[in-house]
Amino acid sequence: MDNEMQVLEIPYGMRDFLPIEAAEKRTIEEKLASLYMAWGYDEVVTPTIEYLDNLVQGSRHSIETHLFKLFDRKNNTLALRHEMTTPIARLSASRLQDSPLPLKLSYSSNVFRYEEMQAGRQCEFHQSGVELMGTTAAGADAEIIALAAKGIVDSGITTFTICLGQVDFATGLMEQFQLSSGEQRALQIALEQHDFVQFESRINLLSLTGSAKETLRQIPLLCGGEDVLEKAYTLAISEKSKRALDNLRAIYRLLKAYKADQYVRFDLGIIRDFSYYTGMVFEIYTDGLGFPLAGGGRYDHLLSDFGNPCPATGFAIGIERILLAITRQHLARPETPKDVYVGFANGAEEAAIVKAGRLRMEGKVTELAPASSTREEAESLRKKKGYTDLVYLA
Amino acid sequence: MADSKEYLTIALPKGKLFAPSAELLCKVGYTAEGLSDKSRKLIISNEKKKIRFIVSKTADVPTYVEYGAADLGVIGKDVISESGKDVYELLDLGFGKCHLMMAVPKNQKRGRLMDYNHTRVATKFPHIAEDFFNKQGMQMEYIKLNGSIELGPIVGLSESIVDIVETGTTLKENNLEEIAYIFDTTARLIANRVSFKLKFEQIHQIVTDLKRLQAEGEE
Repeated sequence: MDNEMQVLEIPYGMRDFLPIEAAEKRTIEEKLASLYMAWGYDEVVTPTIEYLDNLVQGSRHSIETHLFKLFDRKNNTLALRHEMTTPIARLSASRLQDSPLPLKLSYSSNVFRYEEMQAGRQCEFHQSGVELMGTTAAGADAEIIALAAKGIVDSGITTFTICLGQVDFATGLMEQFQLSSGEQRALQIALEQHDFVQFESRINLLSLTGSAKETLRQIPLLCGGEDVLEKAYTLAISEKSKRALDNLRAIYRLLKAYKADQYVRFDLGIIRDFSYYTGMVFEIYTDGLGFPLAGGGRYDHLLSDFGNPCPATGFAIGIERILLAITRQHLARPETPKDVYVGFANGAEEAAIVKAGRLRMEGKVTELAPASSTREEAESLRKKKGYTDLVYLA
Repeated sequence: MADSKEYLTIALPKGKLFAPSAELLCKVGYTAEGLSDKSRKLIISNEKKKIRFIVSKTADVPTYVEYGAADLGVIGKDVISESGKDVYELLDLGFGKCHLMMAVPKNQKRGRLMDYNHTRVATKFPHIAEDFFNKQGMQMEYIKLNGSIELGPIVGLSESIVDIVETGTTLKENNLEEIAYIFDTTARLIANRVSFKLKFEQIHQIVTDLKRLQAEGEE
């Protein structure tokens, strides 16, 4: 690429937010930040760059190929963070390990993943979310789901669905038929890849009874209202699967108190990364956007990878996806008001500065003209710039 | 997009897979008047049953489905694997059976697969080919072609090809011989990950009906 081109271009997967887009993004991030604060979550900021080894803790999957990597002066491999849960787990297991539990932290950050671009996701994108650490109670999971739902509502999205699952249900079913770890892994991979054809053919290879195979086949199909839980109980023989269902039932009971149950559907086939999540998992979907708006779940082992075992649960909301859904669904876009344009005649600049200062004190969004002009010129600029009122000092 | 909630949108590929896909979906009640891959219309809808069909180029079907522009799609496993798109693969429809393989000119055949290490391979499926050769511990030079892959070795563009084969006639006609099998492919029913959740009942019904048809066919 010759130099002249590069001056105007930005790298693959990066984007600019123009004034209106940036304003919408900030409005939503601020709404979410004040919501988290109201629920008792403290904001933390972690570094954009971390040691590669820290970021790949806990994820068995080849996330490494999707990281932006670089070297420091001592040749350590560094990477740009690809999500916020791992950095917050690191922080909690080290710097915050003596804080009183449960620990409630929130963030609003850019994260980086080198992958093919998707709708509402460039290689750099923005996530806002919370982590609740130090308790395994169903109440903590219910709070996380209810808070995520409230966050989506506050962002301006009116119709959405929360699909709620529990990873132990599926693993419990696989264990109750004494599958070898290899067989179990093969089934999990097929589920994680959403490949039911592969899942089915893997089941057919197992030496199990017909009814056992039929039970396994049901895993990705357990999707619907409360009746799905009842159906799932009839399939669950192992304690692990039953406990998973009891857990979902307990969470759901509390979600009713939060009035968030109206958004919830059970989906025992939701499989987010098996190696990472250890309990309830959820994803939030809305119409017209082919990707989840938000997702989360319980991850009780991640902090022990940092040498300080502590159960944890949390969620992340994709800011760009919220913005995209608002546009696609023609919902009211967050507005930033422009109140007063202050113009002035020759010699009135000092008075105009004082006036503009006073208006800003009153909380009005005020722009001061850069130079003196006639009233007509000031009026025409006010219109072009979208201000409601003109104040002209002669 | 505003009415996407009401409609079920299905993406079908032009070409070989079109006719059997349209026929199968018709049998479970999903069809529309004038549904043909020769149609000039890009979207064919059935207003009464709230179904829309998108007829697209083969390689674009996974993209329409991944982005949720279509809820469902029918497409070959080869195209899904090559695209690397995140879609739900719901059902093996059984037709469009082919396999992916590596072939070389008969008269220049080398002893072992490894003897082709660091040579050039012409293919429409560079990702699948790369994945396959990486697993063999081989490094190759991939030359992406969009059709008539067999031509590659004949004109000296490459030493081998990775392509899809149904009967093997084309290979024979061009004096090529299959030396490595990669995987089998058939047509699959795919779904967008959000549609599969939000329209679960409807989509699950289609899958159940299609499975029943398949079972009846086997009897």
